[in-house]
Amino acid sequence: MNSRDAVISALKKLPATVNEVEFKQCGYHLEVLVDAGRLRDFALLLREGDFYLSFISGLHLKETIEVSYQFANYSFPCRLLARVEVEADNSLPTICDIFQGANWHERETRDFFGVVFRDHPNLMPLLLAEDMAELKPLLKKDDKLKERAAITRAAAAPDPQPAAAKEDA
Amino acid sequence: MSTDTVTPLDEHRYVLNMGPQHPSTHGVLRVILEMEGEYVMNPQPVLGYGHRMHEKMAESRSWPNFLPNAARMDYLAALIYNHGYVGVIERLAGIEATPRAEYIRVITSEMNRLQSHLLWLGVLVLDLGAFTPIMYTFEDREKLIDILEDVTGSRLTYCYMRVGGVVRDIDDKFISRTREYIDWQRSRMPMYENLVTGNIIFRKRVEDIGEFTPDLARRYGLTGPCLRATGIPYDIRRAEPYSVYPEFDFDIPTETAGDCMAAYKVRFREIEQSLRILEQALDKLPDGPVMAKLPKKIKLPAGDATYTVESPRGELLYHLTADGSDVPYRMKIRVPSFSNLSVLPEICSGMLLSDLCACMGSLDLVIPEIDR
Repeated sequence: MNSRDAVISALKKLPATVNEVEFKQCGYHLEVLVDAGRLRDFALLLREGDFYLSFISGLHLKETIEVSYQFANYSFPCRLLARVEVEADNSLPTICDIFQGANWHERETRDFFGVVFRDHPNLMPLLLAEDMAELKPLLKKDDKLKERAAITRAAAAPDPQPAAAKEDA
Repeated sequence: MSTDTVTPLDEHRYVLNMGPQHPSTHGVLRVILEMEGEYVMNPQPVLGYGHRMHEKMAESRSWPNFLPNAARMDYLAALIYNHGYVGVIERLAGIEATPRAEYIRVITSEMNRLQSHLLWLGVLVLDLGAFTPIMYTFEDREKLIDILEDVTGSRLTYCYMRVGGVVRDIDDKFISRTREYIDWQRSRMPMYENLVTGNIIFRKRVEDIGEFTPDLARRYGLTGPCLRATGIPYDIRRAEPYSVYPEFDFDIPTETAGDCMAAYKVRFREIEQSLRILEQALDKLPDGPVMAKLPKKIKLPAGDATYTVESPRGELLYHLTADGSDVPYRMKIRVPSFSNLSVLPEICSGMLLSDLCACMGSLDLVIPEIDR
């Protein structure tokens, strides 16, 4: 895989949903939706494609917890953000035997969101203290939770400056 | 991790605790070392002593109130953290800073990078037992900090950049002092080459120590000068250009040896490249306002955006998710030292304890950045 098109076609074979997004707006090139069951295949594919792992992080939504994986490539510009919904028991398979750097990122996600990464060699608190394993500070209260649709970018904004809400006092 | 997870030990092995207060961990980092004689068999870093949960703070207040936090993660690259934060807000909200402000951001960011590299140069050799160079690098660094203090108002934890521009314009005095500084720094580099780079004692301590390889870098997400020491010319300023970096002519230094000496040489040569960028930016500096005209209150539109910048230590990334209000829904901050430090158990196993200090110095760790 040495071009973005090759990456897209390889990901589609996985299968995974791949959306090309505008880099100037989003800061990454590809948005990928992967099933939890295919997460490890997805990671293996990127490992063979010489990608590196940028970060793993979580997002607490009304429906579920989403774990995002961002990868990029040293040789050509292709930054991709993969979103994976956790399984019903709030767990995901680990990828830290494929990308060793995932070890700490997964521990951090366990600290902050309580997502369990199955077969992780040492899922101990990393940034939190040992007695804070059940704190899960980034989980939101029910009334603050939003649905996926509420945090999705509105499709093709007609106004070139949609951002500035005019609330001049 | 507690020490009881490293049992059972055979009779020659013992556990040695390094830190959290140790001069060569540069902050409150603790490393549990499983030793065999003077050899480190399994170093395990313990993080979190300086954890402040910046990510939670980001989602519990409106976005302008997070600006001062950005400077308090990496105290050596506060302006670059400023740049990343205002960058991600601007990208998500579709705001553009004025051209003059973009140039000033690059100028101050590069000065911040220079002072970080100068501090690193001093403390790396200090860790290895040479006291003299840090006195010289701090003399240089002081000049930079004085110039930055005049325009930003602080010496370390800058809060200078705003969405749409910067808070205060630079004046002719700033420009002439910076030009003087560039000539001064250039005149100092041959001295450092003689004093440090060519010093046989220093070379024996760093050559063939540590083994950074492209494959290791991919597996751990290594970025920054340690990655470029493996021969991969990956620099966010080139790979995913942001701000006005595409307008400048600069090289990305690389080395192929992949040891601590290679990482040293890359960082050392980056000083000259930063000076080149500074020089060009001062020459090309456009006139105009330093703040764009913006409404008083800016709401973040629903959606997410990523903004990546090159910090002195590697790839710094803000990933912001917003729900249409002015409080971010989620802010993820990917810090370079976090991934860079995670290679330590792999590359330092089987190494002498004194070489581990050289390795940690080459990674240029800033612990408050890792702990966030």
